[in-house]
Amino acid sequence: MRFSKLIYFILSFFVFTSCAESLDFNQLDDYVVKPVLTSSLTYFKVSPIQFFDENGVQQNSREDITDFIVFENSFFRKNVVKMVFNAEFKNEFDRDAMIQVDFLDANNIAIYSFAPIIVESGDVDPPPYEEDIVIATNPNILSATKVRFRAFLEDTGTQMNPLDTSEFEFKSSVTLFVESDF
Amino acid sequence: MKKLLFFLLILCIHKTVAQNKQVLYNFAELPQTQLLNPAAETNYKYYVGIPLLSGFSTDIGSTGLVLTDLFARDNININDKIASAFNKLTTQDFVKINTQLEVFSGGYRLNDKINLSFGFYEEVDGIGYYAKDVYDLYSQGNSAHLNRSFSVSQIQYKLDVLGVLHFGISKKVDEKLTIGGRFKIYSASLNLESNNNAGTFTTVEGANNLYTHYFNSINATFRTSGLVNAETDRYNKDIDEYVKNTFLAGNLGLGFDAGFTYKVSPQLEFSGSILDLGFVSYSKNVKTTNVEGDFVFEGVNFLFGDDNVNYWGEIDERFNEELPRTDNQDTYISWRPTKLNAAVKYSFGQRRSKVCYDNRYKDFYTDAIGVQLFSVFRPLRPQLALTAFYEKSLSNKIHTKFTYTVDDISYANLGAGLSMQLGKVNFYGMFDNILSYKNLSSSNSVSLQLGINLIFN
Repeated sequence: MRFSKLIYFILSFFVFTSCAESLDFNQLDDYVVKPVLTSSLTYFKVSPIQFFDENGVQQNSREDITDFIVFENSFFRKNVVKMVFNAEFKNEFDRDAMIQVDFLDANNIAIYSFAPIIVESGDVDPPPYEEDIVIATNPNILSATKVRFRAFLEDTGTQMNPLDTSEFEFKSSVTLFVESDF
Repeated sequence: MKKLLFFLLILCIHKTVAQNKQVLYNFAELPQTQLLNPAAETNYKYYVGIPLLSGFSTDIGSTGLVLTDLFARDNININDKIASAFNKLTTQDFVKINTQLEVFSGGYRLNDKINLSFGFYEEVDGIGYYAKDVYDLYSQGNSAHLNRSFSVSQIQYKLDVLGVLHFGISKKVDEKLTIGGRFKIYSASLNLESNNNAGTFTTVEGANNLYTHYFNSINATFRTSGLVNAETDRYNKDIDEYVKNTFLAGNLGLGFDAGFTYKVSPQLEFSGSILDLGFVSYSKNVKTTNVEGDFVFEGVNFLFGDDNVNYWGEIDERFNEELPRTDNQDTYISWRPTKLNAAVKYSFGQRRSKVCYDNRYKDFYTDAIGVQLFSVFRPLRPQLALTAFYEKSLSNKIHTKFTYTVDDISYANLGAGLSMQLGKVNFYGMFDNILSYKNLSSSNSVSLQLGINLIFN
């Protein structure tokens, strides 16, 4: 009898004492990851000679374009909620310079433009520039496939010295704020 | 599926672990103890396992994390709970699963010295280590982690689904020594594994641009077999095919077990075994992806030339050249996780007799104590478990065993087992970590073994 009670106890132990606290796996539906991803974007360093054409005539503007592939990726296209564009620059030229940044769609039409960035002549330590783009209020930015950078020189009426070694330097990055369910 | 993927994500990865069956080891002369030591002593003429019921075992465990940490109904935001729970984890933490189901088994004693056994079982076995850097990069991004090197080497995981056909033999060399061996044929239908990865991703403040991104010495390999159809390049979602391939239609491999039992005296016994010394050669529906190289990215350097430079195209081309990703379908070898068991057992108490094969009688003691050591080899480090046990035979037909185990998961792991013989029918049940049964949701580990055999003397 003593043995049978022990056996009964062992077998019953797990049947009657085991339990599991109620769990709610559906909470995962509310899980949102919010990574913040930063990437270098564009940079350049130009000297006066790069503003002169083959005829030795100074051009007061230069531009260049690169692909912007972030929103080709469906994950980013769906989940980026904000972009922050950061830039730092210095202007050693003897005249003001202005940078114009435009996001272009596949037809090269500007769909979002930053306020012009003006850097005064000789300013080698201007405050950094920051532009916040909230996707919800600027959904057209999702169509951006290219970024165009245009550099304008102030027209002072005199040409720069093409042999001058002064530089205009520009650095930039983009930070993506992502909010994604799992 | 979404929840499964979530767990796979946090699993991030390592080598296969095997289940420690410390209660079953050397217990009650059960036929299934021969799978843990092919030289385990048995005293029946022959036995037949009830198909699909003779042996079921499962072992699910995690270190550092329990289900209630994440899914308790406590009105705490799931994002806060996950962040808090994962914050406590280290790269040493892991999640494991091992489940075995005996499809059939049997054994036959040729004579006083030779005992044969055979069978077939299905096994699902997996383990993944917590890849903290990968999770932090996924959940937080790199922005707040300048100068931090996110390591690819933390990605370590392995999952196997396979069938094992085995044949074992044990020989009683003399009254003291019994030796045994087991030959195994593996038939694996699914393998996912990645280990021995290297390399880092780091974002630092740059010189030419605001930031510089470094992919340093990246060498990561992700192997799959059975998951992706080689012809269609699509995931195989046919469960039936996975099951079918475990019946010798999958990727084949060979393995061996070996063991011994040595009786120093009628009361003192040493035993030991080495299990699954073998491999599987994966050749079917293989897809191995490798990423290797170095890459530095500073952004797009505008030249303001007259030519329309395809800046991004050039970067993309350089990326593919310097950090190429390659896929192949080459056959690869995956080693089974080799396990070691060792035990010393001292018997005492009342001395009784029982009927064995050929109507012989054998004396046995009603009580026994001892210690067992279990180890499974892995690249990071071997996992060890040390067990102290007490066995009590309540009668010739009813045996119990109680264990206390210290292992990676718990320092307070109590186990209990019972084997009963009712006529020819033998039933056994063993539960490990029984303290966790008061709330399985808060348990780091749950392990059990159950089965029914027909045993004939």
